[in-house]
Amino acid sequence: MQSWLEKQRYIVDFTMSSLLRRKVKNIGLLVLYTLIVFILASIIFFTYAIKREAAFILQGSPEIIVQNLIAGRHDLLPVSFLDQIKSIRGVANVESRLWGYFYDSLVGANYTLLTPPSQAGSLKSDGKKTFVGSGGSDIPTPTEEKNLYEYEGAPLEPGTLIIGNGVARMRSIGKGDYMPFMAADGEIMNLKIVNTLASESELVSSDLILMHESDFRKLFGISSTYVTDAIVTVSNPSEIETVANKIKKHIHTARPIIRDEILRTYSSIFNWRGGMMIVVFSAAVLAFVIFAWDKASGLSAEERQEIGILKAVGWETSDVIRMKFWEGAVVSLTSFFSGVILAYIHVFFTGSIVFEPALKGWSNLYPNFKLTPFVNAEQLTTLFFLTVIPYTVATIVPIWRAATIDPDTAMRHTGN
Amino acid sequence: MLSFLLLHASISRNAQTQNLQLKASLVHELGLTDLCLFTEARYTRHLSQADLYTAFQDHPLSLEHFPSGSFTEPNLSGIR
Amino acid sequence: MIELMNVRKVFNAGKANEFSALNNVSLHIPGNRITVLKGPSGSGKTTLLSIVGCMSRPTAGRVKLIDREITSLPERFLTDIRRSTFGFIFQQPNLIKGISVLENVMLPAYPLGDQRKDLCSRANQGLEQLNIVKSGSKVEWLSGGEAQRVSIVRALINNPSIIIADEPTAHLDTKLSYRFMEIVEKFKSEGKTVIITSHDPLVYDSSIIDKVITMRDGKIEDTPA
Repeated sequence: MQSWLEKQRYIVDFTMSSLLRRKVKNIGLLVLYTLIVFILASIIFFTYAIKREAAFILQGSPEIIVQNLIAGRHDLLPVSFLDQIKSIRGVANVESRLWGYFYDSLVGANYTLLTPPSQAGSLKSDGKKTFVGSGGSDIPTPTEEKNLYEYEGAPLEPGTLIIGNGVARMRSIGKGDYMPFMAADGEIMNLKIVNTLASESELVSSDLILMHESDFRKLFGISSTYVTDAIVTVSNPSEIETVANKIKKHIHTARPIIRDEILRTYSSIFNWRGGMMIVVFSAAVLAFVIFAWDKASGLSAEERQEIGILKAVGWETSDVIRMKFWEGAVVSLTSFFSGVILAYIHVFFTGSIVFEPALKGWSNLYPNFKLTPFVNAEQLTTLFFLTVIPYTVATIVPIWRAATIDPDTAMRHTGN
Repeated sequence: MLSFLLLHASISRNAQTQNLQLKASLVHELGLTDLCLFTEARYTRHLSQADLYTAFQDHPLSLEHFPSGSFTEPNLSGIR
Repeated sequence: MIELMNVRKVFNAGKANEFSALNNVSLHIPGNRITVLKGPSGSGKTTLLSIVGCMSRPTAGRVKLIDREITSLPERFLTDIRRSTFGFIFQQPNLIKGISVLENVMLPAYPLGDQRKDLCSRANQGLEQLNIVKSGSKVEWLSGGEAQRVSIVRALINNPSIIIADEPTAHLDTKLSYRFMEIVEKFKSEGKTVIITSHDPLVYDSSIIDKVITMRDGKIEDTPA
């Protein structure tokens, strides 16, 4: 036992000094490998965290949204539809939403203009927010009274705005400043910013501009008989699907979108097989395959000679393989750990700056957000099997071929 | 080393639950539906709200015009 | 000590470039003697040496080492025997570049898992005996003669009873060759068996040689006593 341990130590020692021998090559290898692990780990961390975060945050989104679809286009919804929906059995409440996009030519960014639901042409049975109690039993309410868009309880007044943090950053404006808009009739509307939305909420609110209903209608020239779409609250959550089907039956141009579908949309984008993963992942895997192939396809003459010498001086095939195994393990584990840690820092501390260009695309407005680190052992295991194992195998196979040949053949190849 | 990482993750996760809840309540109160990740086009800004033809509506030749559109997909609900 | 019976070695058997390096070689190498295999290059000396040293197997025939048949032993055992019985000195020093002289010397002992302290002192002692002081330096910085002596120390690290040397003086000048022969003589005085291949008259005409075997075309020509 003692000598077995000692033997392993010798072999590890020799492995280390043999790694240090080819400093440039091995450091290059280490850097490249770390980079691959880093990219893969970043993707895994990012997609998983954003999926979890989206699933959590969007739990609060409306149970059913009803759009009006005309000729394949999302169209304005006549207010009269709201009554029709309200009359469907199982519907607890219907609220209208007024929202749209605004392109700011000054900075080239798209904003989302929105009227807070309690303000929009309301058709509520009674003045209070009924959906808080009924549909939202599973929605966590903040324990602390910190309002994310505070306007001291008073409704947003005409002529005022609350802007998202991204908008404030783009235009470098803030509370107390004025923001001019040109209305549909050509009139200039100068709206006062009364507040900005909390920076913590940028992931959902960065590009928002909240405005009063009357301003919204005036800005876009939307008559009061139309709204953008409707939020439907259902009395029994298990009947959401049934109610959605009923809505479609009653109003033929309606397109109901249920919350589960919203959640599904997000989990599929950032899925293993879906979308973003494929794009970045395929490149990384390809790089790794080339790299492993290169490693597997040949040993340098020098390495061959060394194996020959080792075998000639009395190393067994298994010793040589063990040495190469340690070599692979040292390289791959070092890269694995450093890659994972760097990726963790990258995703959860620096806000994934490497991915920013890809996520940003051509948009000028990009949210500054800090993801909640949802990391689990399963992810790390997956990563381990994707990187360390193939590499170690790729290093051992050619060595095994070289190490099983007669020592004198290995010597002759290079010696005399 | 990795368990340290997992530990840090769970600690900061706990620290951030407050934030998460704030975000969730904002989403709830404003009736928001989407993450503000890609603001470049309306079908990527509100992914769940976009229909199958929005990309085409933005420009007749726009099969896939915006970079982010290439790794998102339309929500098919209510259209089929 | 070592007995070869009708040993044949064929390379690339069955192919167009089939080449028979040894043809029915039978020979006896006595223990505690210095034996020289002499002959022109291509005569099969190195092949014979590698078979004797358990580095390769004969195609046909039998090899006996200290009354033990080794021809059909599996690789593992051959390696064991090689490690514990033989010390090899090659034509080239065949040191591993980039690591220290000391590590090079200790290499053959690694798989045995000896105590580190013992091994180090053994290695240092060996290096001292052959006047090598730069035990910590890299092998690239050694002169030809020094490298040769380092490889001799390496061959001796496991205290083998048989020393095999393949053209040891091919890359040495006359002075160093004489120095090498002195070392060989010392081996004999320590009770070791030495087998050397060479076509250097300085080696096979030396007075310390007990037996010269001349080879030509894979066969033994004559065996003067």
